Amino acid sequence: MIQPQTHLNVADNSGARELMCIRIIGASNRRYAHIGDIIVAVIKEAVPNTPLERSEVVRAVIVRTCKELKRDNGMIIRYDDNAAVVIDQEGNPKGTRIFGAIARELRQLNFTKIVSLAPEVL
Amino acid sequence: MWGLLRTRTCLRYSETLLHQPWKKNVGFCSLSAVDGRNCLLDLPDIEKVLTDIKADDVKVIPVPKHCDWADFMVLATGRSTWHVKNIAQALIYKAPHPPFFAKQKQRGAERMMLPSVEGEAGGKWIVIDSGKVIVHALDEKARAYYNLEGLWTRGTIQNEPDGDLKKALVKVRRKNNSKKPAQKSA
Repeated sequence: MIQPQTHLNVADNSGARELMCIRIIGASNRRYAHIGDIIVAVIKEAVPNTPLERSEVVRAVIVRTCKELKRDNGMIIRYDDNAAVVIDQEGNPKGTRIFGAIARELRQLNFTKIVSLAPEVL
Repeated sequence: MWGLLRTRTCLRYSETLLHQPWKKNVGFCSLSAVDGRNCLLDLPDIEKVLTDIKADDVKVIPVPKHCDWADFMVLATGRSTWHVKNIAQALIYKAPHPPFFAKQKQRGAERMMLPSVEGEAGGKWIVIDSGKVIVHALDEKARAYYNLEGLWTRGTIQNEPDGDLKKALVKVRRKNNSKKPAQKSA
């Protein structure tokens, strides 16, 4: 359950380290975002000497949430952190590698690029 | 009550059979949509299309065993964004068109139509996901940037991005941009 003002970790090597959600893309007055949703976020903390800087506004896809994700077969997936991957307007990831485990629901939501960069798919 | 349940399961089965012909192992698990062994495009077909359309540097990489979500990755380079888009178009044209089974209101796995295409607007990196074979059409810059061969041929992808990870996790003190002179702790 990601809403504006939620702080998220960054799960890629784009250079950002912490994001804050400022808007959820979708319906006009959407409350919460879940895994596979696109958000607009601001970079709160960045690695020095990288193309992305602090206080820059970017788009990101949520890849991990503390709120549990339920599958139709009864499986429940819950991560320890909220994490997102920085993307550009076309949906290409800004970073070249992704860290940590990722749910395969992202593939069904048309984020195959992110899934194919990930080291582990749950 | 059991009877009701059974009829519902029957209904569900028949529905899935009707609507998703490419699904092999039909079941409650919606994820089997992607895990089904059935595949719209097979490797020789893809290779033939790619050579016909003169894609450069075609590479077929078998995916490591522990990743069960796909069997093969095919990488192809296009000379321009138009070329990359044409590669994607040719592959989609080659794939047999499934009947229009996915309703617009369905979400997630039920809605997913194969082959799904991603990144068609940009033309830098287009992914055609046809179940077990995933084709990546990239332009030269994107291919060098993402280095997908390096990621997938190393075999042990877990310890590959180690350097980057270590760099990313090091905490660095933020630059002091304030105008005040730094206090000397003597």
